[in-house]
Amino acid sequence: MQEVTGLFMVATMLRNILGKYLPNPQWVDIVITLINIGAIFTVISLSAVILVYAERKVSAYMQMRIGPNRVGPWGILQTVADMIKLMSKEDIMPVGADRWLWILAPVLLFIPSAAVYVVFPFDNQAIFADLNIGIFYFIAVSSQATLPFLMAGWASNSKYALIGGMRTVAQMLSYEIPLVFSILGVVMIVGSMRMSDIVAAQQQVWFIVVQPLAFIIFLIAATAETNRAPFDLVESESELVAGPFTEYSGMRWALFFLAEYANLFAASAIAVTLFLGGWNGPWLPGWLWFLLKTALMIFVFMWLRWTFPRPRVDQLMAFGWKILLPLSLVNVVLTGIGIYTVKYFS
Amino acid sequence: MQGKGLLAGMRITLNRLFGKKITVHYPEEKIPMSPRFRGGELDLAHNKCIACGLCAMACPNQVIELTTRTDEHKKRHLTSYIYHSGRCLYCNYCIEVCPTDAICWDKNYENSRYFRHQLDVDCLAISRGKSPNAVVGTNPDDTDKEEGTT
Repeated sequence: MQEVTGLFMVATMLRNILGKYLPNPQWVDIVITLINIGAIFTVISLSAVILVYAERKVSAYMQMRIGPNRVGPWGILQTVADMIKLMSKEDIMPVGADRWLWILAPVLLFIPSAAVYVVFPFDNQAIFADLNIGIFYFIAVSSQATLPFLMAGWASNSKYALIGGMRTVAQMLSYEIPLVFSILGVVMIVGSMRMSDIVAAQQQVWFIVVQPLAFIIFLIAATAETNRAPFDLVESESELVAGPFTEYSGMRWALFFLAEYANLFAASAIAVTLFLGGWNGPWLPGWLWFLLKTALMIFVFMWLRWTFPRPRVDQLMAFGWKILLPLSLVNVVLTGIGIYTVKYFS
Repeated sequence: MQGKGLLAGMRITLNRLFGKKITVHYPEEKIPMSPRFRGGELDLAHNKCIACGLCAMACPNQVIELTTRTDEHKKRHLTSYIYHSGRCLYCNYCIEVCPTDAICWDKNYENSRYFRHQLDVDCLAISRGKSPNAVVGTNPDDTDKEEGTT
């Protein structure tokens, strides 16, 4: 099963080249680790830039508009221009803010978003760390993103931000649980939490066919987890005063959105890994399949965002606890029954 | 079935995604303003104006500032016509009161200026700058007289 593929070959070649110039294997390991970290951050920042542009284009096309078309050909440099503007903006800290918490919040929010990239199987064997608890690691690390939102809301010394932070935490906690239970069905079938095992198990049939209910629950819960519409009560700027990041400006504010787009990519990549067969696919190289499927999932998330209106906060909570959670539990029970039936008959 | 409306909504947005875009490429393309649009500056036809000063009197904000001169036949002629667009309410009183329909809106909506004094417009000079359609009964020293019609 573990045949050598494109990205893995590149890594091996790089390792060989480095081995000629560096004195011992430890040095090669350190350099390779640094390259890996750099690669993760490149993927995140590049994807954020591309996704912002894509989001604006998709939203424009769905609203019969054209979207950015002034800066560069087809407006592709618009995001770059926006980034330069954000970097040159004044950094304002509110009077009476809890200084360290306030400074740390956007950074701490970004760290878990970046850290989950460690376990994504971009290609066969092209994975930074193939943990045997890969999916558990993803859930554990990504759920840390809740705390910085509360920190930001609390430290801003603003009632709007505090209420916004609490609303965010309530939403993210409520939807984390159905998200995890929907993943559980896949883990039960595969019998492993290792990402590469999950993808390898989908060589014949993708889990979206076996677990359609889980996929829909995952899609809804992931939309809520990434704070995207219709569940974007976290970041609605004019209607709900931008929630926990009301008081942030310039690059600090941009970090919140960088984390948001990193999360969007992460959620799509996890959906691809769990339900859409990961790197599996004919003809094309695996990493390309992975990227194509991830792009498709991102498009689906954007499609949802620009179609549905936002629910009220009580409807949001009721939907999470009264519908999604029972449904995901039913899915776990059904999966269990299914597994035993298959075992009984085979 | 629950959630049918959600799918219908998604179908509509997907159709729009591939559908025709209705954007007007603004600086290159412009939409002609409707006949009742009030905006821009006063477009004065100085050959129609009888310098009665009713427009200036009708204005609640003293936006129009005009001076006149009476000739040997006791006929009044316009010597200056300044429109202070920064104070204008676009109430249309001046245009309604004009007995000869000498003024109308130029329907321009790009009104921003860098300096306040640029909002004061010399309508007479602009009107003379354009070639007039008819030059009957205008200022005797009007040089546009010989230029003919457009």
